[in-house]
Amino acid sequence: MKVIGVHMDRCTGCKTCELYCGAERGSEGKTLLAAVQETPFPQPRIRVEGGPEGAFPLQCRHCLQAPCLDACLTGALRREEKSGMVIIQEDRCIGCWTCTAFCPYGVIYPSPERKIAVKCDRCLYMEKPVCVDVCPTRALEVVELEGIEELLREKRQKTTKAMAEMGNEGIRLLDLGR
Amino acid sequence: MTCIIVGGGIAGFQAAMTCRAVWPDRAVTLIDAEKETGYYRTLLPQFMVGALPEEKLFFKKGENDPLLTVRSGVRVRSLDRKSRSLTLDSGETLCYDRLILAHGGESYLPGILAGPPCRGIFPVRDLTTARKTQAWLADHRRVVVFGGSLVGVKTAAHLRQAGFEVSLVVRRGHILLRALSPESAEVVEAHLRRLGIEICVNAPLEEIRKINGAIDALKAGGRRLPCNTILVAAGTIPDTSFLEGTGLLTDGELVVSQALQTIDPRIFAAGDVAVISSRGEKARPNTWPQAVSQGKLAAENLYRSTPMPHGDLTRINAMELHGLAMVILGPPVSGAEVISHARPEASVRRELFLVDGRAVGGALIGDITAAGTLHALINAERPLTARDAELLRPRTENVIRFPEQTGRRHALILSPKRSSL
Ligand SMILES: Cc1cc2nc3c(=O)[nH]c(=O)nc-3n(C[C@H](O)[C@H](O)[C@H](O)COP(=O)(O)OP(=O)(O)OC[C@H]3O[C@@H](n4cnc5c(N)ncnc54)[C@H](O)[C@@H]3O)c2cc1C
Ligand code: SF4
Ligand code: SF4
Repeated sequence: MKVIGVHMDRCTGCKTCELYCGAERGSEGKTLLAAVQETPFPQPRIRVEGGPEGAFPLQCRHCLQAPCLDACLTGALRREEKSGMVIIQEDRCIGCWTCTAFCPYGVIYPSPERKIAVKCDRCLYMEKPVCVDVCPTRALEVVELEGIEELLREKRQKTTKAMAEMGNEGIRLLDLGR
Repeated sequence: MTCIIVGGGIAGFQAAMTCRAVWPDRAVTLIDAEKETGYYRTLLPQFMVGALPEEKLFFKKGENDPLLTVRSGVRVRSLDRKSRSLTLDSGETLCYDRLILAHGGESYLPGILAGPPCRGIFPVRDLTTARKTQAWLADHRRVVVFGGSLVGVKTAAHLRQAGFEVSLVVRRGHILLRALSPESAEVVEAHLRRLGIEICVNAPLEEIRKINGAIDALKAGGRRLPCNTILVAAGTIPDTSFLEGTGLLTDGELVVSQALQTIDPRIFAAGDVAVISSRGEKARPNTWPQAVSQGKLAAENLYRSTPMPHGDLTRINAMELHGLAMVILGPPVSGAEVISHARPEASVRRELFLVDGRAVGGALIGDITAAGTLHALINAERPLTARDAELLRPRTENVIRFPEQTGRRHALILSPKRSSL
């Protein structure tokens, strides 16, 4: 299963992903210029939360045990079998907002104007997710879930190496829990 | 030996599908009293008023599974725990190895309305009745909805939206009595009035008047309301009559553990019929999401050596009342501290109920931002921090506001690594 991973250290909180997701996935015009003139305003499916010290782009995690799936009153929310993504079938959604109250990450958004809920579908039917494509610092990356262990191992190795190079400093920092 | 499930509502079907997926070599028989099963009960109001085509009501129910038998149109009449068998109204006896009781609730009809048959009075609960209601409504446009429950409020709003003349009659002081504080209910009532719904509170039912066997007027709380249809949404009560004498009932209720197990380890319950005993209190969530998650858990627990407890017994309910969104996070608790954010001019009220500094319930009216996060917070059962409380402040802007000046817009938008805009 492919998911969007976040390199937290690289996110600067610039919100480029939000803007482009809103324009490309939420607007009719599909460009930023057209998007700004549209009513209702296009809605992004990714949100960057937190300030400059700790910005974090949040979107649907496509949970393996997804509370939103159990909550949907109409069967509009379902898991796409091939990709494993949790998606909303818009023609079945009645905009009752039950799912929005069940996602613990708060990443299903009501669109009162369109009378449907919107959420990230990892741009399933596109070549690459828009947010991943536009992130200026490459903080977002599509990863194969099976490959995540490998990615984390690489990260750990890098950290160990950096710590070794810094002498005691890194260890002390970790001890302090900073 | 098979697993038998009584009730083909969402809890029953979810249990059946889960059982087949988790315990693939066990056969499942599902029994339901209604002729038609496997539909979204929650969509009946829209269907009744003609706003939703019938085919959208049904869900998939594992039609091609040889080990899943669905028996509809038959009612369970008795249960014998000793011989592990059920008797149906057809006289047939079925044996079970494990049993899930998921037979939901029946509409509660107050005395006069339950009386001798009268055309034009319908409970809002099942598809067969909803079809009749739909046909009746085609040439009867003056409707009284009796009952200020969630179903009543939803039904009234959909009727009004479809152009019916609607009065909502409520026995007690405000609508959604068990779900909302008086302050929140007031915001919702004001909105419903703006939609054109007449609301009569403190109006216990006194009399009905019939003409030629059909309803013509209703008297409640001293007021006479002419009408040609009454839709009853005064709550539900589970039919536990066939469980009497089995030892499974406590004060007439089917009380189960947090793992949804009855005192008989082979028998579980899920959905509206189950009263869950948790930490000395009894939870009756009675919502769709609960019926789904309970149906799932009951099936998973069937053959586990140690059944797992249900982790979320909150009573979350959401609704869109044609211009007013609302999420109920949990009913008011007497003696609880209330923190709130209100903007009456915008029909917004967001409140949380705190007991010992922990959020135990609340409601978001008119602005439902952060509903999921607040729900998670209630489940976390930790003291509310100042930052958590911030979540109550609405963030109505759930769309991106682009900056006004062209210059700034460019500066914000252009990402250095993208060549084309
Ligand atoms: C109009 C309406 C709107 C609603 N809207 C919402 C909403 O917006 N949000 C929400 O969370 N909830 C809503 N609810 C509540 C929600 O639908 C219920 O909580 C849920 O459907 C309960 O499912 P269940 O499977 O436990 O019971 P039910 O759906 O009641 O199913 C029980 C089944 O068991 C059968 N049965 C009963 N006795 C027997 C017997 N002795 N033998 C065999 N079969 C039997 C019945 O025929 C029935 O089909 C709504 C309910 C209604 C009626
Ligand atoms: S919307 Fe929320 S609950 Fe649903 S899969 Fe995504 S992250 Fe999980
Ligand atoms: S808003 Fe749409 S997707 Fe969400 S629960 Fe309601 S019908 Fe399902």
